[in-house]
Amino acid sequence: MKPIRIALTKGRLEKDTVELFEKLGFHCEELHNKGRKLIFQVPDGNLEVVLAKAADVITYVEHGVCDVGVVGKDTIMEHGGSFFEVLDLGFGRCRFALCGPKGKDFYKGYAVKTIASKYPNVTRRFFAGKGMDVEIVKIEGSVELAPLLGLADGIVDIVETGSTLRENGLEVYEDVAPITARVIVNTASIKLRKQEIEQLLSKMEAAL
Amino acid sequence: MAVKKYSSITPERTRDLLFEECGVQKQVENTLSGLFSSRGFSEVVTPSIEFLDVFQLKSSYIAPEKMYKMTDAKGRLVVLRPDSTIPIARLVSTRLKEYPLPIRLFYNQPVFSVNQSLSGRSDEVVQMGIEIIGSSSKRADLEVIVTAVEALSACDTSDFRLEIGHIGIFNTLIDRFSIGEEQAEEIRRLIEIKNYPALGDLLDNIDCGEGAQMLKKLPRLFGGEEIFDEAREAFGDAKINGILNYLRSIYEGLSELGLQDKITVDLGIVNRNDYYTGIVFRGYIEGFGETALSGGRYDNLYADFGQNLPATGFGINVDAVARAYLKQQGASQTVPKALIHGKPGYEMKALLTCREMSGNGDVVENSVFDSLEKARDYARQKGIPTLVIVGESLEQEAL
Repeated sequence: MKPIRIALTKGRLEKDTVELFEKLGFHCEELHNKGRKLIFQVPDGNLEVVLAKAADVITYVEHGVCDVGVVGKDTIMEHGGSFFEVLDLGFGRCRFALCGPKGKDFYKGYAVKTIASKYPNVTRRFFAGKGMDVEIVKIEGSVELAPLLGLADGIVDIVETGSTLRENGLEVYEDVAPITARVIVNTASIKLRKQEIEQLLSKMEAAL
Repeated sequence: MAVKKYSSITPERTRDLLFEECGVQKQVENTLSGLFSSRGFSEVVTPSIEFLDVFQLKSSYIAPEKMYKMTDAKGRLVVLRPDSTIPIARLVSTRLKEYPLPIRLFYNQPVFSVNQSLSGRSDEVVQMGIEIIGSSSKRADLEVIVTAVEALSACDTSDFRLEIGHIGIFNTLIDRFSIGEEQAEEIRRLIEIKNYPALGDLLDNIDCGEGAQMLKKLPRLFGGEEIFDEAREAFGDAKINGILNYLRSIYEGLSELGLQDKITVDLGIVNRNDYYTGIVFRGYIEGFGETALSGGRYDNLYADFGQNLPATGFGINVDAVARAYLKQQGASQTVPKALIHGKPGYEMKALLTCREMSGNGDVVENSVFDSLEKARDYARQKGIPTLVIVGESLEQEAL
């Protein structure tokens, strides 16, 4: 039978998912000795695992070249797309937050605020929900620099422990959204291979 | 003059079709036209451009940013048609008012939409479909669904599924809650994308009791015949039971045709911008990651054009079917059987020979080269197996 092809986000989510697979009794040797390979077999789960960058996981699943994907809610919120988001894995927990220089009242005054972020879509939606016009500047690297250099009044970024913020004299003003790892499924795959996919999902859910 | 920047590429998300791609596409179109017309559906063609207003209706609103917009000579907004069912409703409401009902139509034309950049989707897609207008009977629903299944099997893709559902179930459930339109829309959206975790959180927050449990179950209710019993148990509502009985009778009708392997049920189909009001269905084919066919009953669309006409129909994405077919068959380009080369003075005779040979059903090509040498080289390059040299008599040369 054709294996279910599952795309994992490289890095932490990959490790957590492989651990979960091992809890289910799947042998993931290939995934521990990766070498330069890009596609891995997990025969006892009848799985074929692909490792990819977060946004690519969504792209592969959307187009149906992968049936299932494991990706952070942060990427789903920023990237969007059409797929089914069927399971919250609970790990990879962090949050989107609006942050800025400590002790400042962000919402004070009527001047248009400038926000730096790696996540312009999340930022735009957050402020649109408040009915607030803001100027958004897309930053690729350490966003914390932008308010320090005076480019932005605040940032919207992923916060885990908040230690980077503290060390740079920044603080969280407001939470934007919680983030965890999610399982997404291609809209056609779930219909064409319902039983196999549901079986895998319920096993994963039970092992959480 | 300098070459213009965009003179040698096509716009984003459009593409050229070459040779076997066209061949397969035409083949699909011919198969489906044959099927539809053999069942008494008549073809119509609507203009590629329509007024924007046609797509901004009460029962169906298509966001302007999803459409290619232009202005006509008087400065009015027109769009490239994003859908065929709505223009057909316009056509029927204005030009076929006195026509005996039901009106059975089919179409074969491209639709246009603005997709996300770099998403890999085409903005121009050829769609074919049928509409039965002016009948609210179950027979019409059954015929449309069976025709959809026949269309998918006629296209000869390796595997397909058709899933059926009913908009009425979600509408009945959501009507029971006194929640705002915005919240109802959010619930609908989460059911549509089968976002179980977010749907659960949202419904727990609203705290609408037993009803919340039912809504939570809705997106999970997809599968085979067992879904009907599960749903009956989960909902226990007279109106919903009526809908479930209706769906079940359709499902059983399809099983009689031996199609139960191909038919699934999804009670969580709840599209927003659709005009659908009753039974809905979608088709999926192996090798294409999105919906390849979609259809259903739409009884309110015609009211927007001042008519009271129930209707049902479906549309199928011809490009998707053709691409899946190509992927699976790896069809190759047809090479002519022979190149016909006329010696000087025999050009006309060569053309007549072409006509004669192709009349027998063979594909042949006329040589436009002035020298036999060049003709021979060309035939070798293209892999044409025979060269026919036309002079006083015909000589065949195997290559």
